[in-house]
Amino acid sequence: MTGEAPAIFVALEQSAFGAAIRQSTWLFPAANVGHVLALAVFAGALAVMDIRLLGGLAATSPARVLMRARSAAIAAFVMLAVTGFMQFSADASHLIINPVFQIKLALIGLGLANLAIFEFCVKRSIVDLSPGVAMPASAKTAGVMSLAIWLVVAACGRTIAYF
Amino acid sequence: MLRVTTAVTAIVLAAGAAFAHHGWGSYDAAKPVTVAGPIVTSKYENPHATVTVRSEGKVWTVTLAPTSRMSTRGASEKVIAVGNSISAYGYPSTATPDEMRAERITVDGKTYEMR
Repeated sequence: MTGEAPAIFVALEQSAFGAAIRQSTWLFPAANVGHVLALAVFAGALAVMDIRLLGGLAATSPARVLMRARSAAIAAFVMLAVTGFMQFSADASHLIINPVFQIKLALIGLGLANLAIFEFCVKRSIVDLSPGVAMPASAKTAGVMSLAIWLVVAACGRTIAYF
Repeated sequence: MLRVTTAVTAIVLAAGAAFAHHGWGSYDAAKPVTVAGPIVTSKYENPHATVTVRSEGKVWTVTLAPTSRMSTRGASEKVIAVGNSISAYGYPSTATPDEMRAERITVDGKTYEMR
């Protein structure tokens, strides 16, 4: 134990919602399983996007590949957030002071910031590129950042239980 | 790319190790203890059930197993009800005083494996 959790997280854990997830036989494991399956879809969709940004899948139209993968990534992220929040609610007062969980949250923030920078600054320079045209350095940077950040986020997620 | 990921992961793990408190790593398997006495409080909850047990003037927090595993093995909510006499064999926490993780529990002459 590294300290006391802020009251809002204690309240969340003690709420009827948190209690329902702990006391149900299947809700907590269902959230576990849903989180892992959503992660598989999210990682797959992101890998397609990042590989395209790095210049792989060069025969495809970047705009098309990115748009399709983006829809899957957004759906999977929503699922990750919902199932993650369910697990968090069951044990919020401990998780919020868990150092690996804190690192994971910070990296999720970083990953979303990277996505925002890509959406608003980088994307316009690549959406009209034809298949086979080389990617600009900014797109490659966004792809590398994304792969690195989200892989470590996933590793953190699995590691929370050991701290 | 792979090198960056490996390095960052290593840093994350090393930083976390300094604060280790959950998981099997923070229970001392070299010093098994048996906690026996009446159950004071009981939570039949996920991710794992817990009871507190009055034993030799102390109140131990005994961490058990996920509820689905408990019930599969016959350790129902009634088995760990408040007031029942329990004997828990397990490993003491190296981080939280008077907390232990049970390898197995015995209630009313029946032994239930928690792992």
